[in-house]
Amino acid sequence: MANEAVLQVEGIHTFYGTIEVLKGISLEVRHQEIVTLIGSNGAGKTTTLRSINGLNHPRHGSIRFAGKNITHEPPHDIVRMGISQSPEGRKLFPRMSVLENLEMGAFQRRDRSELKNDLDRVYSLFPRLSERKRQRAGTLSGGEQQMVAIGRALMAHPMLLLLDEPSMGLAPIFVERVFETIVEINQQGTTILLVEQNAMMALEVASRGYVLETGTVALADDAKALLRNEQVRKTYLGETD
Amino acid sequence: MKEADLVTEAHVRPVKARRDLGARASQAIGFLLVLVVLAWLGVNLVRAPDNFGRVLLIGVSQGALYALVALGYTLVYGILELINFAHGDVFMLGGMITATLVAQVFALGENPALGSLIAALLVSLAAAIVGCAVLNAAIERIAYKPLRSAPRLAPLITAIGVSFILENVAIIWKGTRPVSVPVSDFSAGNGRKIFSIGQVVYTSDRLFVILITVPVLIGLIWLVKFTRQGKAMRATAQDKDAAAMMGIDVDRTISVTFLVAGALAGAGGVIFAFYSTEISFGTGFTLGLFAFTAAVLGGIGNLPGAVLGALLIGLIQNFNEGLSWYAPGSKWTESLVFAILILILVFRPQGLLGERTPEGA
Ligand SMILES: Nc1ncnc2c1ncn2[C@@H]1O[C@H](COP(=O)(O)OP(=O)(O)OP(=O)(O)O)[C@@H](O)[C@H]1O
Ligand SMILES: [Mg+2]
Repeated sequence: MANEAVLQVEGIHTFYGTIEVLKGISLEVRHQEIVTLIGSNGAGKTTTLRSINGLNHPRHGSIRFAGKNITHEPPHDIVRMGISQSPEGRKLFPRMSVLENLEMGAFQRRDRSELKNDLDRVYSLFPRLSERKRQRAGTLSGGEQQMVAIGRALMAHPMLLLLDEPSMGLAPIFVERVFETIVEINQQGTTILLVEQNAMMALEVASRGYVLETGTVALADDAKALLRNEQVRKTYLGETD
Repeated sequence: MKEADLVTEAHVRPVKARRDLGARASQAIGFLLVLVVLAWLGVNLVRAPDNFGRVLLIGVSQGALYALVALGYTLVYGILELINFAHGDVFMLGGMITATLVAQVFALGENPALGSLIAALLVSLAAAIVGCAVLNAAIERIAYKPLRSAPRLAPLITAIGVSFILENVAIIWKGTRPVSVPVSDFSAGNGRKIFSIGQVVYTSDRLFVILITVPVLIGLIWLVKFTRQGKAMRATAQDKDAAAMMGIDVDRTISVTFLVAGALAGAGGVIFAFYSTEISFGTGFTLGLFAFTAAVLGGIGNLPGAVLGALLIGLIQNFNEGLSWYAPGSKWTESLVFAILILILVFRPQGLLGERTPEGA
């Protein structure tokens, strides 16, 4: 079980109109792993996630999840199969309350009885949200919005959680807290694919990592090895020699 | 750094002050305008209270009818940010369906018996609601969906095109002359007395409008506020990508929105046919513009706003046409309604109940 691939992305090419943004990306996420995707701005990290969750279907290549080919499935079916996402820029429903946003995360679920437990779990991960559950999401601070985005994705009770830059725009203290939470969620049994600008912290919590460069995988290795990799240290960890 | 700050400060201040002055001036003008209108209404109320009451009741009925159509504009705008110019014509076709059923299937004459009138009404409601709902959803699938990612202007122009097509369908079907529906207890000015307060009589034609619109509005509120489908609609209206990520079938939700908007227009068409007893291919255009103005007045995309705006437009129209002391009269109605549209767009583009949110919603 432990080494079984939950998600297999094989040689995908994804386009925006006629622009080829992903030029043959392959990656794999195994059961109960945290895998991180790093790379500079515009490398194609968000596009990779949008290919997986069905918002931008790849033109070539294939994506398999839990043994099924999901390459051309619509996003709402992919959510039902067990992939949920906290998207880049949070994308909350601004005119709904915190609680309503969290409930939207569980939209496709049939097991209504379990919802209370999941809500409690989100509130224990982010106590701040329970204090603000009646507040409109659009009026929350950036950090609070990020918590809602992650909590909302958790409410889907996913097998695989996609996180797109969960630490973006947060104060250092909050960044720490978000990474702690990611580890906590993972320890509770959720497999995670994590996209991050903060390569250092991402590689510290991940077991493996992929480095994207202009739509291709430049490096793929164990997270510890990537942390030691000279090229990675220079380019993404901001080290100078 | 400091210097740069000073420069911008000096630059910004007079501009800001000027803008404040402008805002205050326009506020004052708006306030004055409202005051004048209220004074005029007050004088009319005192001089002829019975007439005032009568006109008020007519205005509310007409406003309720506008509300059904205005809600369709606002629902579709809320979800696609598209002004569906064809909406008024869908409403008109609902009226044509009714006229056909009443004349050809039920073959009602003038002042029909209440039993057959109600039977004709119920069948017309079912047919027009279903017909207009399906038609509206089909329009979305065929004409708007392929343009979902095109620039905003493309679907807008397509909507105008669809509007022309529907009007031409009506011309081919019914000709260019107005189609008439037999006068009945449901026709404006021909209703039976239900009750009266003083000299003000409440009649069956007004009751008929309210008896249809109120349940339809309650049903809509229930759908949008309390059902899973309604949640999907609200989420899709706020952020389509995010809605898809929640497991919502966005295409299906948009289709349902058009179905609902079409159903409301269909119900409106039935009311209009029975109430005004005359309908032509151009009816949807004029009434559609009034309803659209109502939706903008209330705040487009805002459902309670559409109802409030529609009631106001209904009242304004009837006060204008029916009050006895210095009312401009019916030839001014259209100018008045569009003047209001322009005033809102200039002074309060978000409408009465709309809010200006940072997301531009
Ligand atoms: N809707 C779009 N239309 C056209 N090009 C796009 C679109 N979205 C993204 N791109 C382009 O695709 C490339 C990859 O974008 P993507 O958002 O996947 O990058 P990213 O790795 O997530 O970057 P960042 O770290 O800045 O979030 C960029 O060059 C971007 O300009
Ligand atoms: Mg990105």
